[in-house]
Parts: sequence; C-alpha cells; structure tokens
Amino acid sequence: MSVDVHVLLFAKCRELAKTSTATINVPSEILASELLEKLVEKFDLTSIKDNIILALNEVYIENLNDRIVLKKGDEIAIIPPISGG
Amino acid sequence: MLGVEALRNERSRLRQEIADLRSAICKKEQSLRELEEALANGGGNGDGLADEGGERNTGTIQTQLTNDDIARYSRQLILPNFGVQGQLRLKNSSVLIVGMGGLGCPAAQYLAAAGVGYLGLIDYDQVERSNFHRQTLHTEARCGMAKTESARIALLELNPSCRIHCHSELINSHNASNIMRSYDVVLDCSDNVATRYLLNDACVIFRKPLVSGSALKMDGQLTVYNYGAQGPCYRCIYPVPPPPEAVTNCGDGGVLGAVTGVIGSLQALETIKIIVGGLGEVLAGRMLIFDGTTGQFRNIRIRSKRSNCHACSSQPLITDLIDYELFCGMHATDKDHPLQLLESDQRLDVQTYHDKLESQPHLLFDVRSTAEFEICQLSTNAINLPLAEVLDDSYLKRFAVELQNKDLPIIVLCRRGNDSQIAVQHMRNRFPDHSIRDLIGGLHAWTRKVDPDFPIY
Repeated sequence: MSVDVHVLLFAKCRELAKTSTATINVPSEILASELLEKLVEKFDLTSIKDNIILALNEVYIENLNDRIVLKKGDEIAIIPPISGG
Repeated sequence: MLGVEALRNERSRLRQEIADLRSAICKKEQSLRELEEALANGGGNGDGLADEGGERNTGTIQTQLTNDDIARYSRQLILPNFGVQGQLRLKNSSVLIVGMGGLGCPAAQYLAAAGVGYLGLIDYDQVERSNFHRQTLHTEARCGMAKTESARIALLELNPSCRIHCHSELINSHNASNIMRSYDVVLDCSDNVATRYLLNDACVIFRKPLVSGSALKMDGQLTVYNYGAQGPCYRCIYPVPPPPEAVTNCGDGGVLGAVTGVIGSLQALETIKIIVGGLGEVLAGRMLIFDGTTGQFRNIRIRSKRSNCHACSSQPLITDLIDYELFCGMHATDKDHPLQLLESDQRLDVQTYHDKLESQPHLLFDVRSTAEFEICQLSTNAINLPLAEVLDDSYLKRFAVELQNKDLPIIVLCRRGNDSQIAVQHMRNRFPDHSIRDLIGGLHAWTRKVDPDFPIY
C-alpha cells in the first residue's frame, strides 16, 4: 500500500529541488534510510545527503534503521544546516 | 603630479588611519571609564580594570540593584518569574558572542540593554559598507574600525554600565580555551562551518551552553546545544560537515537584515532564559526553523544526545580541539578565496580585454545570477548566462547558432573570477577548438584596474 505525503524543503534543499513543497507517493511502511534515499533522488539532494535532518510531523527521525509507518497527509520536512550569519 | 591611483591609495590610507585613531580613542575612553569606576568603588586593588588576557574580571558578586538599575530595568523587573533575582543574575553573568555581524549585532544589543554585566565580543573583521543593511550596531563613520570596537561604542551608548571586552581576532583551536573559559554562555553568531564545529567542541569540553543561530537568504535556524543532561550538541545533529561546494555564504547567497535580526534577537532571548532560569523552557532538543518567505516558524523536536557522539558522549573521541579548517575542508571565515582552475593561457587580464578585445567581435558571457546581472553589466554586449545553465548544458540550445562559429572568441566573466573559471572548464570540454577564456578577477578587477566608477558589491 502506498500513501501521499507532504514534503517541505528548507534552505539549500529548496534550491537544489527547485521547489519548497511537494506531494509524493511512498509506501506506507518504509525503512527511514529508504525514505531518505527516495527523497535524495527525487529532489536532487545528493550533495548534502549526509547532512540533512529528516523530520516526520515535526519530529526528527533519529534512527535511519527504523521502520516508519506513514499515513495520508503526513508531513516530512527536509532540513539542511545553515552556516551563515 | 600624482597619478589617480596614487591619490586613491593615499585616500584609503588616510581613511584607515582615521579609523584606527578612532578605535584607539575608544579603547582609551573605555580604560578611563573603568578606572573611574574602580576609583568610585574605593578601588585600588585593580578591581574593575580591564584585563587583557581574556580572563573575565572576577569582581565581587552584586547582591543589590542600584536606583539606576531599578529605573532602567523596571519594565522587565515587573515580569513574573523575572524580578530582582533575575536582574541580579543578568548583572552577574558573562556572555561571549562570537561574530559581530548580522546575528551578533542584534543579540549583543538586546543582551547589553537587558543588563548582562559582562559581554565578550569576538570578531577579526573590520566594518565595511556592505555590513550596514544587517549589522545594525555599526555606522558609516566607523568604516574600517574593528567590528568589536565599533559594536562596543554602540553598546556603551545603549548601556554604559555593561562591561565589554573586545577580542579582535579570529577564534581558533589555540586561543579558544583562553578566551572562552570564563564565560557562562556562548553565542554562535558566526558565519562559517569550521567555526561552528570549533565552538561546539569547545563548549562541550568547557561545559558551556551554546546558543546557536544561523541565517541565509530568507531562512533562519535556532537551537541551544549542550544544555541540560540530555541536550544534544551540534555533532549529535550534524556528525559530518557538508561538502564545501554545498555551502553558501551570505556574500554569495545574500541575506535579508530583518531575517538575521529575528534570529539574533531570539538568541538573546534564549540566553536570557538560560541565565535567569524559570522564565520558560529553553530551546534545547528542539530546533526553530524560520522561513521568512512565508513568515512561518516551525519547531522540530530534534534528537537527544547521540550515544556514540564523537564530542559529547560518555566516551568521546574528541577531547582536545582539533584543526577545524582541515576537518571541514573550508576556511574559518566567509571570505571568498580565489580559485586557480585554469592555465594562464585560458585566462585574460581585464586590462588586456579592455585594450585589445573589447572592440572586436566576440561573445561576452556573464555567468552571474540574473539578480546580480541586473545590478550592473560590464557593457551592452554582455549576455547573462547563469552558471547553472552552463553546467546543465541548457546553453547549448540557446546559443546553438553562435557556438557553431569557432573563430568567434568567447569571454566569460563573473563577480570575482571563480565561477567564470568553472564555466570555462565546462565549456572547453565541450568546445575544445574554440577560444574560451575568463576574465581574471571578474568585475572586481574591472573596477580596480579599468573603471573605478563601476559599482562593487
């Protein structure tokens, strides 16, 4: 089974993806690492794939080996570090 | 008669000299103030005198507010959970602000205004015109002065009772411990990745909370690292630094002053909460993400400590500060460094271009972004071809006709002569028989050597 989830992109990720929001269709049960891979590929994030925070409904996904369960309308935020000031 | 260039050199020398003198006066005024304060306190034991070794003066702990304090801080004194005890805690606190730029200026302003007793300011850089739109403590008259000294002048006008120590140097692994040791809280208002890792590791080693803010373009981030038993550090969240090519600085990416203002002010707020205690929940274990384009704040619950963190776990690998420029592969400033990607015969000096080629038929590609191209153009012949369009080859179609003629020389330029080299490399691979060169030093060199009236940004 697959579901539609909202993706929010911030800062550098937004530039690389050339969009700030998107809706994508993903399996409702997926390994966090696989979800990350899908997002990196879909949004062209290879250059910063090791540096992004992935958050599901405003909670950081701590362990990429976790199996996560997604439901329709869930919100995934992709947040890269900003270093400017 | 002196040449124009000599006159210009003389002008900048005089400006620098005046700025240095202003800075020296400011330092002497500060010493005088401290001396008068010491005398008024019946001193003579050196209490209240500025220390030059970076050690905070460990004066007596203030246990009472003066009448001036009560009048000055009345509006915050009457806040529930703040009160006299909160004000005294601020008065006895010492805060170190690293970076007196877009974040450091508003942060320092609110901390000095709120009555933090001792502020340390670190910045190696001098005030320049491109700072003013966001670095709101500096003024036109203080161009060329050390940013720390300039900020000190503004802060003392705001609150003469604040004691301020300027560290006008780049913080690094060698001086960090001496500078940081005596402060209660550290604010990361820096502008580069290497300094962020340095401050993190130092704050873990010296057990200080790190109030970390950052901003670029229309985005901002804020969190407090290394706070409380479970609070993560920067390395828990970002164990590895991003590759240099994925990092944009404010000089290249741009930033809006109101955005750094929001984040810097919030850094001051978190610092006050940490010092006063009981004012509310400190933003640790959470990250505030500010999107200035939509005006939205998001609070992401980030992880607690990483059990195998190299810095803050129970068995850390990093027990001493390391070489952070090496670790990150980037310099600890946000200044651009000239690249050297091309051979000298693949490059052209601006003067030679002006003298020999400008009037001949050629293609002049300006690879800056469209927004930058709008600011200024070298000539009416310049064609805006953003670097991204070169790298993704979309220019091939757009200039299909022009690129067929391999006798038409191609000149590529940008702001400072780095992106133009990347573009030339890419284009030469595709058109090895064309004459494709870049302008050394870009538009900055053009202003310096050919047309002093050409705008610089």
